[in-house]
Amino acid sequence: MPITVENLTHTYQQGSPFQATAIRDISLTIRDGEALALIGHTGSGKSTLAQHLNALLTPTSGRVLLDGRDINNREVSKRAVRFEVGLVFQYPEHQLFEETVARDIGFGPRNMGLSEAEVDARVRAAMDMVGLSYETMKDKSPFELSGGQMRRVALAGVLAMRPRILVLDEPTAGLDPRARDYLLGDIARLHSDGTTVVMISHSMDDVARLATRVAVLEQGRLVMEGAPNDVFMQVDRLGAMGLDVPAASRLVHGLRARGIDLPDCCLLDELADLLEKLLKGGTGHAS
Amino acid sequence: MLRDITLGQYYPIDSPIHRLDPRAKILLTVGFIVAVFLVGSLPGYIPIVLFLVLVVRLSRLPVNMMLRSLKPLRILLVFTFVLNMFFGTGERELFRLGFIVVKEDGLMNAVRFSARLIFLVVGSSVLTLTTAPVTLTDGLERLASPLKRIGFPAHEMAMMMTIALRFIPTLTEEADKIMKAQSARGADFSTGNLKARAKAMIPLLVPLFVSAFRRAGDLAMAMEARCYHGGEGRTRLHVLRYRRGDAVAFGAMALLIAVVVLQGRLQ
Repeated sequence: MPITVENLTHTYQQGSPFQATAIRDISLTIRDGEALALIGHTGSGKSTLAQHLNALLTPTSGRVLLDGRDINNREVSKRAVRFEVGLVFQYPEHQLFEETVARDIGFGPRNMGLSEAEVDARVRAAMDMVGLSYETMKDKSPFELSGGQMRRVALAGVLAMRPRILVLDEPTAGLDPRARDYLLGDIARLHSDGTTVVMISHSMDDVARLATRVAVLEQGRLVMEGAPNDVFMQVDRLGAMGLDVPAASRLVHGLRARGIDLPDCCLLDELADLLEKLLKGGTGHAS
Repeated sequence: MLRDITLGQYYPIDSPIHRLDPRAKILLTVGFIVAVFLVGSLPGYIPIVLFLVLVVRLSRLPVNMMLRSLKPLRILLVFTFVLNMFFGTGERELFRLGFIVVKEDGLMNAVRFSARLIFLVVGSSVLTLTTAPVTLTDGLERLASPLKRIGFPAHEMAMMMTIALRFIPTLTEEADKIMKAQSARGADFSTGNLKARAKAMIPLLVPLFVSAFRRAGDLAMAMEARCYHGGEGRTRLHVLRYRRGDAVAFGAMALLIAVVVLQGRLQ
């Protein structure tokens, strides 16, 4: 079930002196099974775009289609859309409220009207997916956990609804390196199990690791779109927008400037292999 | 969602009224309220209306903005009007419809009290529409500072108000975000009976309180780190000074009150 965004524009507080257009005329298709990364400067409209994908925001103009149906149409249940398109907000641990971890994760499934047995099964499965032990964690208060654990509980709270499309707004912001690695691993696993992933991130190395496609927003407009290798090799253009590139892309860019012929690459492991071949082979093209 | 609510309805443009000293504006509002209450008859409202029109024109506020401030009042207005209209005690009957009797003085009172209500609300909303909330508390603190001598904590009150006002947008934004996050998990805030709706607020209120306490702790720490120790001996970056415009405004207000009083005498 692809999501198609057609000429989407959103203006906050329209008609007041505070009105601000966050995104302008964006058209984009999110295909089944892909992992799309949205990158862009702070205030470029990434989060606004993400919140349109599950009808939390209503377009000022334009449409958002899920499976070809306009999700802002009156006849389409927005709640049903939200169970299909799971949105994990930035700092999702700030939304925890229940007395126990299990009850908090079960909030979504319970809202879906599932039986207690089914809710419980889903809570177990979701905790399993994010690597939390059901037996030891289920009765703990979410407020006594560490930051990384809270984030995973919050992620599990969305996963327990079994969305087919998962939208994550800066999932690794503010996490320590280990918690970040765990979380990225969880997301990669979900993606390889068939969930479509849309991820907003400021960490280009995370994007390089996870994404199958990258879309770049600048001042509310979609300015670049393509495979990570293609997008990230435009180091100068991204730099002009104030955006970083993955370490590997920067290295390839630098080496090319010194006359070393290398193919596009944005992953350090891949680049290491390429360089190894290049060094062993002595001369010539490495691919 | 919540973003659409304007809390603290300051309308940020530049105008002679916006530029007045906040102390002057607070005192002038009080003066205006006094003037409205001094009016004893319907024609007495003419100078009040003229004054209000002048002020609103000078403030460059859009008229629909002013009318919007009356919206929450509409039920009270209808109530005031209807009650006064039907409960006149005078001699002259205007008309009678079954057991409903409308007397002349009742109708007059209905018009007078409704007009008074409208003028009071419009007049005081000029104050809040043209003065930034923080400037307003600044003015209040300065006005109340003579009371410090009898132990009134003017600085502390003003600081609390400033902080509260400062955090309204922050907490509104936070509430908006949490509401969206819970809606993304299928929470429903807008349907169901009263009990269901009250229950639906729990997923919003618990995280909001947690975050408010966290922010309060952070703010206290940050204030201490910058050596905040209360109002004693504190100087200000922007010192309030009365200017010529304020004098003119006070003059205009004195004139208005004089006219209203004279008019009352003449009748």
